[in-house]
Amino acid sequence: MLLDGLLQAVRMLLTGDEDTWSITALTLRVSLTATTVALLLGVPLGTALALGRFPGRRMLLAAANTGMGLPPVVVGLFVTVLLWRSGPLGAFGLLYSSTAMVVAQALIATPIVSALTAAALQQVDPDFLLQMRALGATRARALRALLAEARLPLLAAALAGFGAVVSEVGAAQMVGGNIAGQTRVLTTAAVLATSRGQFALAIAFGLVLLAIAFAVNLFVTLAQQRDSRPSS
Amino acid sequence: MSIGCRSLRVTDRGGELLAVDFLEVADGETLAVLGPNGAGKSTLLRALAHLEPRAARAEVLLDGEPAAPAQLRTAVAAVLQRPVLQRTSVLDNAAAGLRLRGTPRARARRLARPWLDALGIAHLADRHARTLSGGEAQRVAIARALAVESRVLLLDEPFAGLDATTRADLIADLRTALDRSTAAVVLVTHDRDEAAALAHRTALLLRGRIRQLGTTADVLDSPADPECARLLGYTTHLPPELTGHDVLLVARPERCRLLAVTDPATTRRIKWGVAPAGTEVVVPGTLRRVVPLGGTTRVDVDTAAGSVAVLTTAEVTTAPGGPVCVAVDARDARECPPPG
Repeated sequence: MLLDGLLQAVRMLLTGDEDTWSITALTLRVSLTATTVALLLGVPLGTALALGRFPGRRMLLAAANTGMGLPPVVVGLFVTVLLWRSGPLGAFGLLYSSTAMVVAQALIATPIVSALTAAALQQVDPDFLLQMRALGATRARALRALLAEARLPLLAAALAGFGAVVSEVGAAQMVGGNIAGQTRVLTTAAVLATSRGQFALAIAFGLVLLAIAFAVNLFVTLAQQRDSRPSS
Repeated sequence: MSIGCRSLRVTDRGGELLAVDFLEVADGETLAVLGPNGAGKSTLLRALAHLEPRAARAEVLLDGEPAAPAQLRTAVAAVLQRPVLQRTSVLDNAAAGLRLRGTPRARARRLARPWLDALGIAHLADRHARTLSGGEAQRVAIARALAVESRVLLLDEPFAGLDATTRADLIADLRTALDRSTAAVVLVTHDRDEAAALAHRTALLLRGRIRQLGTTADVLDSPADPECARLLGYTTHLPPELTGHDVLLVARPERCRLLAVTDPATTRRIKWGVAPAGTEVVVPGTLRRVVPLGGTTRVDVDTAAGSVAVLTTAEVTTAPGGPVCVAVDARDARECPPPG
């Protein structure tokens, strides 16, 4: 049955099933937007956690590390309560929309990006910023040089965030509602197809998810190989 | 452009780490700040660059005028003790100082290249910085700071951790490079040979205070007090009660000689403390131990006023516990008044 489903799935992808491709496009749009938001929030936060000297820094770092394992269902529940018609943000009418999915997924990815950014920056020589400033850099330029120095682990942080949200199903299901053509993404579609016994369709969605994961990892691996290879 | 400071105080947890009332290094001049570990040398250097967060009070002067942080940032380039390089090629590292100051990449590379040549690493330009040895990395770090052509260059023990040959080569190359530059240079070091090779003037820093300041030749030759003497290698201290001299006499152990007391001439001189002709100071004692150090031998002699060390290349025939004398030519002894 698995082999049969696999063959049908490949055929479906090759013949260009319209639904599959629109679901894939929505998945990429939602997850990439959520990852971008997580980067905009998580990189500054992680930088502050790595370099800042303020009370409670270690607590926050521990919280960010804990947040890396945040169950998507918990985030989904939290966002659902917030966006529920009678909830604090219910007036915006965002529940069961792709925006709600972006919010939930950004909440999942932000702690991951923050914690990995902090770890990435802490791996750089502790005197790096001092040396850059000692060469005449402004604080902003020195910080930019530091981020550039940690570019590979930062790239890995971004991709870890993306990987976490593109593959999660709990939050997407709860805040998106899996509405066909509006909030149906690869993971929720795969769950639905499986529950209906449409295994070929479910496997097709699974294959697309795997292909995205592979493409992302291939990109990182190639970037790391190219950057870290000494010329002699 | 000259750099200096006035009423510089650095404190940490209530303790005063550094107190310098006034210091100035002229255009084109190299000042060595010589001191033992923990004397506050690096703190002084960082305070001059406004990079010392603990500086409670520091008026840094450029051309005699108090300088704003932004002025200092553009005027000063500093090399830290350990080379901190970026994950990129040697050439891009050498150009990094210029890039950090806003110079476009191509121009920064063009300006940096001659400095790689000046420091003897032009052939490494395309190598990745992570493949360099410690000495090569330090050369890149120095080239990076020189390429900025800042008016003030601060060097924090740039030769620390290098083997003797690498260090000697780098000192020679740095000397040539500094001769080309018109920057005011402050070199922090604990090695008097580096000061002698590179600096016009030398300041001795002990426990956060400048204890002696003068031309390098004068400072290295005439320690101001016993502690400065130790720092400068005059570690053989002969107090007045041993020599009959008015003040403490200090000498380098390699300039002292060991005499056996069987020599009648020696016995006569011992009696006098200072030899009649005034050419030699002789102090009697008991040989405590003999430590071979490769080419030389260190001999510790117990005298009436404590232990005295002698470095000698001659064969030591006296056994430990036997009577010996320590002799110092008057030309090699320095009078050293107590501090204050």
